[in-house]
Amino acid sequence: MEWMAPNLFPVAWMSVSSTYVIRLILEGLLIGVIYALMALGLTLIFSVLNIVSFAHGEFYMIGGYVVYVLLNKFKALPGPAALILAAVVTFTIGAVFERLFLQPMARGQVDRPSEYAILVTFGLSFVLQYIMLAIMGPFPKKAPRFFSFPKLDLGFLRTTRTTLFLGEIPLPGGRIFAAVIAVLALMAILYFMYRTWTGWALQAVSQDRNAAAVVGINPLNMNTLAFALGGMLAGLAGAVLVTVFSWVPWVGVPASAKSFVIIVLGGMGSIPGSLVGGLILGVVESLGTGFWPNPATAQAYRDVFGLIMFALVLLVKPTGLFGRKL
Amino acid sequence: MTFRRIYVLWVLTGVFLLGLLFYPVLPKVNLQSYWLLVGMTALFYAILASSWSLLAGYTGQFSFAHMAFMGLGTYAAGIMIRDWGLTPWIATIAGVLVTGVVGWLIGYLCLRLRATYLALFTIAFAEIFRLVVKAEVKITGGPNGLEMPPYQRPEAFDRLMKAILPYWDANQYVPAYYTMALLFFLSLLFMFFLVRSRFGLFFRAVREDEEAAAALGVHVVNTRVLAFVVSSMIAGLAGIVFHHFIGLVVPDEMIIGRMSLIIAMAVIGGSQNLVGAALGAIFIHFALEWLQQIPMPLPVLERLLFLESWGFSVDLQAGLLRTNAWRMVGFGILLMLTLRFAQNGLISPILDWLARKEAVEEVAKRFQAQRDMGAVDAVQPVTSPANPTDDLEAEGEKA
Repeated sequence: MEWMAPNLFPVAWMSVSSTYVIRLILEGLLIGVIYALMALGLTLIFSVLNIVSFAHGEFYMIGGYVVYVLLNKFKALPGPAALILAAVVTFTIGAVFERLFLQPMARGQVDRPSEYAILVTFGLSFVLQYIMLAIMGPFPKKAPRFFSFPKLDLGFLRTTRTTLFLGEIPLPGGRIFAAVIAVLALMAILYFMYRTWTGWALQAVSQDRNAAAVVGINPLNMNTLAFALGGMLAGLAGAVLVTVFSWVPWVGVPASAKSFVIIVLGGMGSIPGSLVGGLILGVVESLGTGFWPNPATAQAYRDVFGLIMFALVLLVKPTGLFGRKL
Repeated sequence: MTFRRIYVLWVLTGVFLLGLLFYPVLPKVNLQSYWLLVGMTALFYAILASSWSLLAGYTGQFSFAHMAFMGLGTYAAGIMIRDWGLTPWIATIAGVLVTGVVGWLIGYLCLRLRATYLALFTIAFAEIFRLVVKAEVKITGGPNGLEMPPYQRPEAFDRLMKAILPYWDANQYVPAYYTMALLFFLSLLFMFFLVRSRFGLFFRAVREDEEAAAALGVHVVNTRVLAFVVSSMIAGLAGIVFHHFIGLVVPDEMIIGRMSLIIAMAVIGGSQNLVGAALGAIFIHFALEWLQQIPMPLPVLERLLFLESWGFSVDLQAGLLRTNAWRMVGFGILLMLTLRFAQNGLISPILDWLARKEAVEEVAKRFQAQRDMGAVDAVQPVTSPANPTDDLEAEGEKA
C-alpha cells in the first residue's frame, strides 16, 4: 500500500542547480522542434482538408523505417539521401491514400464525412502498422548514426564525436542533428507556405474553398498536396529520430498523441500555434520528466504531461492558444 | 402460407442461439480448452464491438479508449482484490463503477466539443494509460501482468449445473464459456432495449442534428456522456469477467492494434446495428483463427517460399502457410474498403434486408385495411416500393 502516499518531494528543490534546469530546457527545445515539425504536418492537413489524420503517427513510423532499411541495405548511401527518400515515400503514400479514400469525401460521395474521415484515417493507421509489423517484425530496431561532429574546442563550446558540450551541459549529437534538420525542414515548409504561389493556393483553400475555386485553384488537388505534405513532414520527423530512438511498428502511436496535444494546445489549424505548441510540449515534458520523483518510471510519465496539458486546454480554452473559433 | 424473409431471420436467430448454447460440444470443438478459449474470446470481442458500436453507430462519437476502459476496469478490480481483499464478485461491481467514473470525467471533458476531440483525447489517453500501467510495476505488476483470482461459485450451483449440463466440469473453460455467453446475451439485450428506449432516440437525434435535438429539449452533452459512460462500463464489465477466467491481465492487451481490431469488427459487421457488430466480431475472430495457418498442397507452398522474406512463414513439413501479421493487414484493408463502399457494414444490411420486407408489407396491409374501411379513398396506395426510403430520398433531392 506504500504506493498510495508516494514521496512527492525527494528532490531537494532548493539545491537543484540552474545548469540542470537549463539542460532540461535545452533538451526540451531540441525535441520540441521535431514535435513542431510533426504537428505542422497535422495542422496543414487540418487547415486544408478540415480533418484530423489519425494515421499521422504511422507516417512518422514509416519515415523512420525507410531510413533504417536504406542505411542497412546500402551502407554507402549518404544520410541526407536516405532522409530525402523517406520524404518521397511518405509523400507518395499520403498522395495515393488521399486520392483513393479522401477525395470521394471531398466530392461528396460519402455519407457522414466527418465520421468517415476519423475512421478511414484510423483504418490506414491500422493497415500501415500491421504491414510494418509483418515485414519488420516486432523487435526494436535502431538505425546507425550517420553524422558525427568534428572535434572542436572553443572554450565554452566543446564537441566530441557524439556529444556537444555547451559549457557544462552535454547535449547528445543525434538529437542536435535531428533538431537542425527539423529546423531546416520547418524553414523550407514555411517558405513554401508563405512565399510561393502553391503555398498561397493552399492557404487560400484553407480560408475559403469556394472563393479559391473561383480564382482558379483546384481545391481537390490542394487537398492531395496538403495531405501528402503533412504525411511527409511526419515522415521526416521519423526519419531524423530513427537514429535517436529505437523503432517498433507502434512507435507512431505516442508520437501522434503528442501531435494531437500540440494542435489542440496551439489551436486547430494554426501554423504559429503548432510551432509554439511543439516547443512548449517539448519543454514541459522535459522538465516534468527531469523532476519526476521516481527516476525508474519517469520516462513512462513523459507522455502524461502532454495528456494533462490536453485536458487543461479542453477545460479552460478549447480553441487553444491561436485557434480559430470552433 | 407465404414465404417471408422475417421467418428466415427468426430461423437464423434460433440457429445462432442454439449454436451459442451447444458450441462446447460441437464436433470440432469437442470440449477442448483451446477451442473453448477461442469461443469465449470471440464473445468477449463481440461484447466490446457491440458496445463500441452503441457509441459510434448511435451517437456518432468515436472512442479509441474502449480497450483502455476494458483494462482500466480489470486492473481496478484486480488491485482492489489484491490490496483491499475484496471478493471477486464485489470487485467486479467496484471495477465497473471505476470505469464509469473515469468515463464520465473524460466524457464531460470532451463531449462538449465536436466528435474529433473525443477521438483525439481517447487515443492519447489509451496509449498513455497503457504506458503508465506498464511502468508502475509496484502497483500493476508491470509488463508481466496482474493476477486475477477466479470467481468462487457455491458448490450447490456447480451441482445444479452438472445436473443440467453433464459436461459442465469436463473442462475449466466450460463454465467460463457459458458465463461469457450469458454476459454477451444480457449485454446485447440491455443495449438493445436501451437503443429502443427514448434514450436511443435521443442518441440518434443528437447524432443527426445537434441543434434540432437541443431545440426539442434533449440535453446534448448529457446524452452523449450517457452513451459514452454506458459503453465504457460494458467494456469494463466484459474485461473484468473475461480476465477473472483467464487469470491474468497484461498491459499489452490494451495496445492500439487491438483497439483497431475491435473497430474493424464493428465496422465490417455494421456499426449502426448492435447485432451486426457482434456478429462481425465473432465472424472475424474465427476468420483470424482460421487464417493463422492455411493448409495448402505442397507444390503450391514451394512456389510461395519467396513470401518468407515478406513476413510469412512457410511450413513445408506440416503443409501450412502461416500468415502472421498479414491476416491483420487483410482485415485492415477490408475495414477501409467497407468504410468507403459499404458504410453500413457487410452483415447488418443483410439483417436489415431480412427484417425490412416485413415492415413494408405491414404498411401495405394497414393501408389496405384502411382503404377497405373507406378511410382513404382519395389517396392512391403506394404499390410496394422496393425500398421504402428511396422515395423519401428522391423527394429530398427534389426539395
